[in-house]
Amino acid sequence: MRNPLRSEEEAYRFLGVVIVGAAAIIAAAYVNTWLGLAVAVLAFVAIGWWLAHEPRA
Amino acid sequence: MYLFIASEIMLFGSFFTAYFFVRIVNGVPWPSPPYHLPVFVATVNTFILMTSSATMHWATTSIKRGNVWGMRAGLLLTFLMGLAFLIAQLYEYMRAGFNTSDGAFPTVFFCLTGLHSCHVFIGLAILAFMTIRAWRGHFTAEHHHGVEIGGIYWHFVDVMWIVVFTTVYIL
Repeated sequence: MRNPLRSEEEAYRFLGVVIVGAAAIIAAAYVNTWLGLAVAVLAFVAIGWWLAHEPRA
Repeated sequence: MYLFIASEIMLFGSFFTAYFFVRIVNGVPWPSPPYHLPVFVATVNTFILMTSSATMHWATTSIKRGNVWGMRAGLLLTFLMGLAFLIAQLYEYMRAGFNTSDGAFPTVFFCLTGLHSCHVFIGLAILAFMTIRAWRGHFTAEHHHGVEIGGIYWHFVDVMWIVVFTTVYIL
């Protein structure tokens, strides 16, 4: 697992990823609460996968 | 750094646990009447904080390229926007219309947003020192570790705000 706060540049990129994830959750929850929950789970898994596989900057 | 992240996750995690517990116990709608969340002020605050992250990144990339004035301007702007966020947050608290003594919802609201505000306050203190050091010429393209660490902390604070804002104000 990669530390998302390893450097300022990576932390800034991580912030962008979190914003995109949050926007997706909000959009899905606006349509349906359960869809929002499903997207939240997917977003957490996707961010976890990204942290595990992201190439070093 | 891993220990810091772990401790912060546990700290915020405990407050989020309390928040979700109160929310599930109360059921929908959220917040339970007669409370209203100041969503507009919080949205404006979110944009201020996100912009401050961009200026922080500008400051860091500037000093990496040897652009001292870019770093100074970036740090100063970041500090000012962080200060604006904190002032707007205090204004929001004053106009909220409820207090911690009014029940579980206001308590968890003030605890969660207040915890984040404490982090912003610490970030502002760090930014103030960084800005002073920047104006005294302590950072160069080769030696700018202080700016890097402060930047990481500031982005972390912004990440936490996105989570708090999405959970408490929007969903």
